[in-house]
Amino acid sequence: MLKIKDARRVFFQGMPDEKVALDGLSLTLARGDFAIVIGSNGAGKSTMMNAVSGALMLDQGSIHINGADVTAMPVHARARHVARVFQDPMKGTAASMTIAENMLLAEMRQNPARLRRGLTRARRETYREHLSYLGLGLEDRLDTPVSLLSGGQRQSLSLVMAVSGEPDILLLDEHTAALDPRTADLVLNATLRAVTALKLTTMMVTHNMAHALEYGNRIIMLDAGKVLLELSGEEKARATVPDLIGHFSVKSDRMLLGA
Amino acid sequence: MDILNAWIALIPVTLAQSLILSFVVLAVMLPFRILSFPDLTSEGSYPLGGCVCAVALIAGVPPLPALLIAATAGFLAGCATAFIHLRFRIHTLLAGILITTMLYSINLRIMGKANQPIFSEPKVYDWLSPLSLSASWTKIVLVGVLALVTYLVLNLWFTTERGTAMRAVGANSDMAEAQGINVWRATIGGIGLAGAFSAFGGGLMVQSQGFADVNMGLGVLINALAALMIGEAILGRTTLRRQLAAPFVGAVVYYQLISVCLAAGLPPGDLKIATGVFVLVMLAAPTMGFRRRNAGTPAKESFRE
Repeated sequence: MLKIKDARRVFFQGMPDEKVALDGLSLTLARGDFAIVIGSNGAGKSTMMNAVSGALMLDQGSIHINGADVTAMPVHARARHVARVFQDPMKGTAASMTIAENMLLAEMRQNPARLRRGLTRARRETYREHLSYLGLGLEDRLDTPVSLLSGGQRQSLSLVMAVSGEPDILLLDEHTAALDPRTADLVLNATLRAVTALKLTTMMVTHNMAHALEYGNRIIMLDAGKVLLELSGEEKARATVPDLIGHFSVKSDRMLLGA
Repeated sequence: MDILNAWIALIPVTLAQSLILSFVVLAVMLPFRILSFPDLTSEGSYPLGGCVCAVALIAGVPPLPALLIAATAGFLAGCATAFIHLRFRIHTLLAGILITTMLYSINLRIMGKANQPIFSEPKVYDWLSPLSLSASWTKIVLVGVLALVTYLVLNLWFTTERGTAMRAVGANSDMAEAQGINVWRATIGGIGLAGAFSAFGGGLMVQSQGFADVNMGLGVLINALAALMIGEAILGRTTLRRQLAAPFVGAVVYYQLISVCLAAGLPPGDLKIATGVFVLVMLAAPTMGFRRRNAGTPAKESFRE
């Protein structure tokens, strides 16, 4: 369960270009919720993701994961609860290390590193099995440096790494945006299979309205650092792409009038 | 022929020296290649190790504990560099220069003078006196074994969970952090370890030459870098084992090249330009069409700022 309460974060405080990225944002996800986060550029989506992962500290407000207050917890300590796949395939993996080593690193999210042998035979077998679900043949390339993989393969690997150990919260930050349409579909399908099978509490940022309507059980639309719209269940099922786009244009009208 | 004979005559001396300095090359390689933290602290931690070792010996500490005390001092120096980089966001190179500069004064304070002879104190090399080898071969055997053990232990370390975590910090520190690795601890520990190796090398050198000098670090960094480049050009960087072996192989080959230059009658003052040319050739070779086979795709260089 994830609970964000009155989150506020201001960039460049007191400067002429001061920007309120999160303006009292509150949000609660129940265990197993699959929330699709939408919103125009600058709405605060990435800031919210960074706040949940710990990459960015809040000025005010609090974040609770499964009832525990993680507001002041640094990224590496929060990693036990939160896994993340970034938009950039380069960010989620260590390029100069092998596929198996990267999988090992992901495993250490749950079990902090100790002074014992890393890649044991048993572990390699487990990794082989987990990677085989992707159907990309990565299971036969465990000792290949990740730098030799394509963007899609790297992103698929990042996904497998993120869902391994079943994190309390899975953050997907436009994780298919940098991929070609076919690869994007492949990664998205793998994501859906994993999230459904493991019942992961997930937040997925996307700019694809059709995806927002089709997947997940909730839609959360951010605007100016707040939740502008929340749809779930019946409402979500009835919503259409033009409905969602409509909310975007309301905002730009307001921007025009305000200017 | 004269050159050849002169060179062969120099081999034991230069081999002993190069094995000792291979610890400094290792201390340059670890931050630079494994932690993506280009670091100049070795230039200061090497004489620090020497001075601390000399003072400890004078105080009656046995030779091995003296070396370990020296390594501890180097460890702290490395930690200091890593800390001021992490905490104050000072560029790694600048952080190393600052610590090196301050270490010069600290080294003078530790010894109380610029030069400290330790001719009559016991040395680690005395252990092998029952073998009745020549002075140089004693050093070669002892330091060679130490280097081999260090290489094997590092190989093991970097395949443990913690060692893998440390490498991840160098490969992609944001990603490592997101996987629950404490980047501060790994960086400080890793740079500290490099400082310890450098100071250990300083201690070995002091026990070998029989004196410590505050200026003994002058230029050691560029020599170490040259040796590293040569080692990497010979072995490549495709696997962890090769990367870890490069400092040792590089140190031996580099000092033999220098020795050839000396044997050929090159005045010592011209050695710096020879060193520069070696490094330049090693760095330029890949762009001039002498690509190594099996070199694989070089990992993109990205260093922390």
